[in-house]
Amino acid sequence: MEYLQFMIIMLFSPLIQGVIKKLKANMQGRVGPGIFQTYYDLIRLCRKDMVVSRVSSWIFKATPYIVFTSTIAAAMIVPVITTRSGPGVMGDFIALIYIFALGRFFMALAGLDTGTAFGGEGSSREMTVAVLVEPMMMLSLFTAAISAGSTNVARIAEVQNVLYSPSHVLALSAFMVAIVAETGRVPVDNPDTHLELTMIHEGMILEYSGRYLALMEWAHYMKQMLLFTVAVDIFFPLGISKDMEITSLAISSALYLLKMFFMAVLMATIESTRAKVRFFQLPALLGGAFVLAVLSLLTYIMMGK
Amino acid sequence: MKNWIQAFSIIDFISVGILLTVIAMNALKRLESYVRAYTLNSWLLSSLIAIVAFMVGETHLYVASVTTLVSKGIVIPWFLRKIVRQTKVTHDAEPYISNTLSLTISGILVAVVYTSLSQGIFVTGFSKNVLQISIAVILIGLFSMITGRKAITQVIGLLFMENGLFLAGFSLTFGMPVIIELGILFDMLMGVIILGIFAVQIKRVFISSDLDKLTTLKG
Repeated sequence: MEYLQFMIIMLFSPLIQGVIKKLKANMQGRVGPGIFQTYYDLIRLCRKDMVVSRVSSWIFKATPYIVFTSTIAAAMIVPVITTRSGPGVMGDFIALIYIFALGRFFMALAGLDTGTAFGGEGSSREMTVAVLVEPMMMLSLFTAAISAGSTNVARIAEVQNVLYSPSHVLALSAFMVAIVAETGRVPVDNPDTHLELTMIHEGMILEYSGRYLALMEWAHYMKQMLLFTVAVDIFFPLGISKDMEITSLAISSALYLLKMFFMAVLMATIESTRAKVRFFQLPALLGGAFVLAVLSLLTYIMMGK
Repeated sequence: MKNWIQAFSIIDFISVGILLTVIAMNALKRLESYVRAYTLNSWLLSSLIAIVAFMVGETHLYVASVTTLVSKGIVIPWFLRKIVRQTKVTHDAEPYISNTLSLTISGILVAVVYTSLSQGIFVTGFSKNVLQISIAVILIGLFSMITGRKAITQVIGLLFMENGLFLAGFSLTFGMPVIIELGILFDMLMGVIILGIFAVQIKRVFISSDLDKLTTLKG
């Protein structure tokens, strides 16, 4: 049973995206699409024909599958409602970050593969952001790892039960910035436009259509929910089930639902209240978050909590 | 109440907050934000002293807390804001090096302080990290004085250094006698007023408050 936890992420990730979109629309005074719209979009895309450029190579066709499966592989590592995650012993969060990197690498290659200007632009921007985000993510998770004595996400979720120390708050704030950057949300990237000046993630998948586009989008939603889950597991593991009892699983699921809703509200608030940063000012924002992560590690080492 | 303060490690949070506000100065761009960071820093300092006073039951620390709040948290920021408003043309800080680099360097400064002061002298023992943080605040304040181009950023850097010194003295000895603290505060106030008037005068004579222009003397 516990092997099937990743199905939760797989099935509900479009819902999270829909909820965020709805909340954002409401905050901006619009009605917005229904929360199930993302599912309809995915189904619609699956039914459509694909247009594949003649000049593209096998990389273009393989990338959607690689991105999708690598995201699923990452989802298998992370405990969602119970820390008894079977495949969790295979990898820790370092593996998780590098599985993400694999997907990102192929996505950037596919952006370059079709030879359009926007694809190349998106790939180059994505890689620039990734260089800044990856070490920050690592450092902020290392703080949690040191205090839990393990780099395994499930172990951290089991051991960790306090947030009440400065180092964890600093690590959490750095990790939040990392999530915003990784999921392509507003201060870093604008998920709603196809405007050539702003897009990063959209630029890379611009050439995709039909089923491939559906896979890429779905993988993106999954990655987003996965990152939320990692944040929740590591920094708010309160109530996560440690066994397979029905009652504790029910409590854990209810709390998980609440936490995800909270994350959705947080993301929608950030997106509605912040303006998009110019691309060349991004290093200042991400560098600041990196310093936060460094400080959290230092503070942890010095204060011992 | 005392248990709560200990359980939620509030002293640690406030001291890290003091460190963050001084580091934030390297991430900010506008002079008003600098003043706001300084105000926040002073408020945190004042509340830290008040909490420690409550924990150890020393009456004269309350006096120190209140005077800090009034002078550094209210009067000096108000005066600084006035100066910033008077130097109208540009409110950008325009430091010599980029924000990212100065953030990185201040991170390195904190690391150096943390490693070199890992075995400190902790007489008071309410929090062994306060001394490290205060030294880090002093160094980062000095660093932002070096990199600041405007006269007003130097004043704010100096004020941050003074806050750091105050915190260091406080963490080592539970604060100096009240009369000395009042003297230092008065000094501080006078210093800020004089420096502020200087900044406005520099601005008036040289049309800009950029300190580079001071090298070309005018009679």
